[in-house]
Amino acid sequence: MAAGTALTGALSACGSGDTTEITSGTVALDFWTHDDGYIKFFEGAVPVAEKGSPFDYDLRVTKIAAADLVTKLIAQAVAGTGTPDVAGLEIGAFSRMLRGEIAPELLVDLTHDVEPFTDDLISARLTPFSKDGALYALDSDTPVTVLYHRADEFERLGIDADFGTWEDFADVGRTLAEKKGLSLGAFAVNDPGGTVQCFHIHLLQRGGDLFDADGAPTLQSPEAEETLAFLVDGVQSGFLTTVADMYGPSIQSGLKAGKILAVNMPSWYSSYGIQPNVPEQSGKWRVAALPVFAGGGHRTGVGGGTGFAALTDKPATAAARNLVVKGYLDPDQQIARYKDLGYLPTLRSVYDAPELLTLESEYFGGQKLFETFRDIVDDVPDVHQSADISIMNTVLSGHVLRAFKGTVSPAQALADATEDFRGQAKG
Amino acid sequence: MTTTDISNTDAPAARGGSAAPVPSSRRGSAGRRTGSLRGGAAPYAFIAPFYVLYVLFMIIPILAALVLSLTEWVGLGMPRFIGLSNYANLATDSSFATALANSLVYTLVAVIIVVPCALLIAQGLNAKGLRMRDLFRVAFFVPMVLSPIVIALIYSLIFDRDYGLLNASLDALFGLPHVDWLGDPTLAKGAIGFVLLWRTVGYLTIFFLAALQNVPAEQYEAAALDGAGRVRTFLAVTVPGIKPISAFVIVTSFIGAAQLFDEPYLLTKGGPGEATISVAMFIYRAAFERQQFGYAAAAGVVLFIIVFAVSQGLNRLLGIGRDS
Repeated sequence: MAAGTALTGALSACGSGDTTEITSGTVALDFWTHDDGYIKFFEGAVPVAEKGSPFDYDLRVTKIAAADLVTKLIAQAVAGTGTPDVAGLEIGAFSRMLRGEIAPELLVDLTHDVEPFTDDLISARLTPFSKDGALYALDSDTPVTVLYHRADEFERLGIDADFGTWEDFADVGRTLAEKKGLSLGAFAVNDPGGTVQCFHIHLLQRGGDLFDADGAPTLQSPEAEETLAFLVDGVQSGFLTTVADMYGPSIQSGLKAGKILAVNMPSWYSSYGIQPNVPEQSGKWRVAALPVFAGGGHRTGVGGGTGFAALTDKPATAAARNLVVKGYLDPDQQIARYKDLGYLPTLRSVYDAPELLTLESEYFGGQKLFETFRDIVDDVPDVHQSADISIMNTVLSGHVLRAFKGTVSPAQALADATEDFRGQAKG
Repeated sequence: MTTTDISNTDAPAARGGSAAPVPSSRRGSAGRRTGSLRGGAAPYAFIAPFYVLYVLFMIIPILAALVLSLTEWVGLGMPRFIGLSNYANLATDSSFATALANSLVYTLVAVIIVVPCALLIAQGLNAKGLRMRDLFRVAFFVPMVLSPIVIALIYSLIFDRDYGLLNASLDALFGLPHVDWLGDPTLAKGAIGFVLLWRTVGYLTIFFLAALQNVPAEQYEAAALDGAGRVRTFLAVTVPGIKPISAFVIVTSFIGAAQLFDEPYLLTKGGPGEATISVAMFIYRAAFERQQFGYAAAAGVVLFIIVFAVSQGLNRLLGIGRDS
């Protein structure tokens, strides 16, 4: 251990720079993100952050893949130099910051910054970026799940997008799959994270979750079993088709060929899945609220998110914190974020903004999407994070696929996944 | 040994030669300094860069990995000493067992399939009268030059269940149903094994080709005079003639396959489930996806021990480093 400690200490000692806090004037702010959209957004948010603050911002942007961003962030922290001032942490990668004391050591606790907004902030979007009661990042989105569907095909086939319950949805889907070879949904099977997300968004809607508030696995629950049984039925009967992942050529071919007529995905999937894959189907798609589970749960699920954090103990920490808070909690910026990036506000009051409610989407046939989002946002479920989500993705995806193949029952798959998870989480 | 001792051993008298008497004035401090530089520190100074670099970049990282494997460390802050717990956890970790089993499959593919294929291709390329020999050589070698990312992209397009070239071809030619090459646990391992074969066989072929061209032509002529057929000639002349290169190729192929990372990581992400995960990918995943650096280090040490032990066994079996 002495060698390791010495190595760490030596590395940490290499990068000690000027730590004098910058309290005013021009601030060169190192900004890391994985998404071009956030670059444009924050560049636009700079004037808002500068207003009423002593800072003039000079953003220095680095674009880096979501998983690599966290790896690089921790590596630079060990080196003692080169960390950013603001970092956008994709929710799956953020879970790594929850291991040990990484988050408290690297990130600013924003709890006090959001106190004035407590009544307005959608609390469900705070839990994924919190640990031990401290909030380390502000979510960019309230990624509720909705049913994207081909309105033209639904009309031709005489299907009403208001299915009522998932059980009714399954009945329609089975008939459609058997008689027409068409699917009302897709499930990713070649990407462990994607496989678990497809399961998780349904599970959250049903009222379950992968972990409890303490980070312990909660797979062996009636909700999880019912959800997996529903999905297994969907895959085996064909009303859900399997695809490699929800973004690439596999689903694109299904959408283009008109074989996949609907998908249950988060709100951002419009910008990252539907429109990029089938731009030629503009005007044919619509968004509807999901069917509900007869056994209970919520009107929607939730999936994804990216939290923006300020790095602690740096000269520009105060300026970074100001940029994140003002950029993300300003109502006008929340409206701009939806208009520019398709990310739903995290402030509840913004859902009543006429500017958004009257907004018509050309791609979705002139539909006012916000009416749908506003109807369901009050029932968005909490998501509990765990530092071991990566382990969960690995083990659960394998057992879900076994259940799809009929090798094991849904209950057994969940029991096996729980056992494997506990075995691997020891490491 | 002191500096004086070394300078004395360097003196002509000490080496048994006859030396003229040295004036006492020249046996003063200046003479002693010259002797010290030549016989004492100088050799060490010349070889010091090697040892400094060796210690810095070989010994310290190995020791650090060993020490790290006895700790719990998330990548930041102080590591916590936990003794052999990481190794105990590895022993009961089903995921690590799967990774070991998969790596065993990949090494078997590399040694049992890839190496013989490379030898057969080299034999073919070495045939007299072969036209466009250089074109074939380039074609076989190009996969080794290509980036693994490009290879993974190409093969993910070929193997895709819904729109892949392979399934489309099988469907068009034979009317076969679409096969989930990367989604079925067994087929996915086979797909990775195939890509491993495709990527490395050309590289190994170059070694075999060089070895084949060094087998004395007289031995083939002698075999022909003795009436040996092709198979007999191959077994009696070619195989013994290329034995040193064969041994090198087998050992390096084994080590490369035991450390396989690119193909499963890029093609299947270790899936479906953990069906194709390798030990190297297990280590990467533990360190850079799960922040379990101590655990990753322990897995690395286990991999090192296995690879070292098997390599030593192969060395003995194949007679590497021994005089014939």
